[in-house]
Amino acid sequence: MDFLKRFAKRLGFTLLTILAMSILIFFLVEIMPGDVAQTVLGQSATEESVAALRDRMGLDDPLHERYLRWAGGFIRGDLGESLYMRGVQINTIFWRKVGHSIVLAFTALLFYVPLSILFGVFAGVKEGKTPDAIISFVGLATMALPEFVSGIILITVFAVGLDILPITSVIPIGENLWQNLEILVLPALSITFVMFGYVSRMQRSSMVSVMKADYIRAAILKGMPRRYVIFRHALKNALLPTITIIGMNMGWLFGGLIVVETLFGFPGLGSLTMSAIKTRDIPLIEACVLFITFIFVFSTFITDMLYAFLNPRIRYKRGDV
Amino acid sequence: MNTYLLQLKRSPRAIAGIAILLIWIIAAIAGPSLLPYTYTGMDMDNQMVAPGEAGHLLGTDALGRDVFSRIIYGSRSILTIALLTSLLSSIAGIIIGFTAGYFGGIVDTIFLRIMDILMAIPPLVLAMVVLGILGNSTIVGLTIIVSIAFTPATARVARGALLTCKSNEYVDAARIRGESHLYIMFVEILPNTIGPVIVEITARFAYSIMMIASLGFLGVGLQPPTPDWGMMVIENKSLIRAAPWTVLYPSLAIASLVIAISLFSDFVSKVMINEE
Repeated sequence: MDFLKRFAKRLGFTLLTILAMSILIFFLVEIMPGDVAQTVLGQSATEESVAALRDRMGLDDPLHERYLRWAGGFIRGDLGESLYMRGVQINTIFWRKVGHSIVLAFTALLFYVPLSILFGVFAGVKEGKTPDAIISFVGLATMALPEFVSGIILITVFAVGLDILPITSVIPIGENLWQNLEILVLPALSITFVMFGYVSRMQRSSMVSVMKADYIRAAILKGMPRRYVIFRHALKNALLPTITIIGMNMGWLFGGLIVVETLFGFPGLGSLTMSAIKTRDIPLIEACVLFITFIFVFSTFITDMLYAFLNPRIRYKRGDV
Repeated sequence: MNTYLLQLKRSPRAIAGIAILLIWIIAAIAGPSLLPYTYTGMDMDNQMVAPGEAGHLLGTDALGRDVFSRIIYGSRSILTIALLTSLLSSIAGIIIGFTAGYFGGIVDTIFLRIMDILMAIPPLVLAMVVLGILGNSTIVGLTIIVSIAFTPATARVARGALLTCKSNEYVDAARIRGESHLYIMFVEILPNTIGPVIVEITARFAYSIMMIASLGFLGVGLQPPTPDWGMMVIENKSLIRAAPWTVLYPSLAIASLVIAISLFSDFVSKVMINEE
């Protein structure tokens, strides 16, 4: 019952956040300096054609009407028409790029989640010893690097030096992502660099505290194999904070994708957002930013629910939301 | 003070971090006046020469500009902006977070909800969109926008720090003495939260460097011809095979600076936690 109550409360707040963000994003982008219609048509456009475009885009309507029309379209799944690529419905390009980014994000997750949990557990078990010091130093260093710096280092080593992976992650015309899976490796590794530090540190510290618990010491003293105790007993309880940190960082991951995709020229949501900003394509900027926010807010919501569900102390207690 | 130095002595990582940071600060202050080249000076006879050749320590880029000089000049803007943003966002965070935490109740609830909403957009995305829309970023513009993007996070930290001190006796004593709210917040409570505040400022400094470098890389940071480390990387990315030094050295400059600051801030947070 309490779980359901928490669920309803959180869901309500999540929806409210998205509503507030949509208003914020809309007004932020719409106050863009300069005449939008003029920008689209160029300086040589006649006054009549500018006026006609303004009329067609509804730019002369009051701001709140335009917001409602835009938000309404969004809810119905209509993202509007691109300004820069005239006549192109955003829906026709948007979802393919989002799909690419999701594949990239999952490839990165596949790399960094097992890697950081494994090293985090190892460091936690060896607390204070040399392996712990090395792992925590590496984590601290890679975590601090912006994604494009780790990307450049990876490109220099694997693409320029060893020449085993492509420098850019462009999909050739007429082919799809599945025919070019190797282009995912370096971008995903760049993200792994950054995330490894966060996740392994969290895993290490929760492992350290769990290993000191009475039931772990009892299991070891009872003569159970150490490996069994670590992976069956300790890890089970030490994973909860790690899951939270991974979920909470999903939004970060999508923010980081903008940088990584720009570096590698990967055709995803990130490079779409960047080119939308460069070309001042207002409807496209709004769609991209709102979608990134949406992913962030929902992954936080799902993480929170998962945490509550996995943690019996919250599941059975009155939740404090 | 002595105990800090003692702890510093025992931490080679922190010493390395501080040393690298100091080198960059000295380079930023004194470097440009010692350099043989300016950051826009184009050596037309020596385009894309390799490091060490023709009197160019780290080589030149496609326009014949000295990479080393551009990196030294670039350290000025990134250090200035990062220092200002970490200070500004921390000050703004303290003012907002303290007000919310101190008064509590409905003020606090509204504050928390607004911060939750603002934190739903990654700071990099927020800064990128605003800077992209406004165009032509200057040092002032960049500083203000990055500080705003950071403030929800710093305000939360400041609020948390205040809550740990709020119920102490000296706060009650000051209240009974009839001190004003402002006095209690900033004269009584602030000095007692200085530990977490310093930790936050140093950590924020590292984030700021990361953020400013990334914004420069995305092309919405400082505009050419001002040398900016992030911008140098994206400008020359296509040369990574032909002239890797034009891309690699600015990247390494960023890496050394952020890692140095992280090592330092990691040390600061450990010292402050030990103290409690």
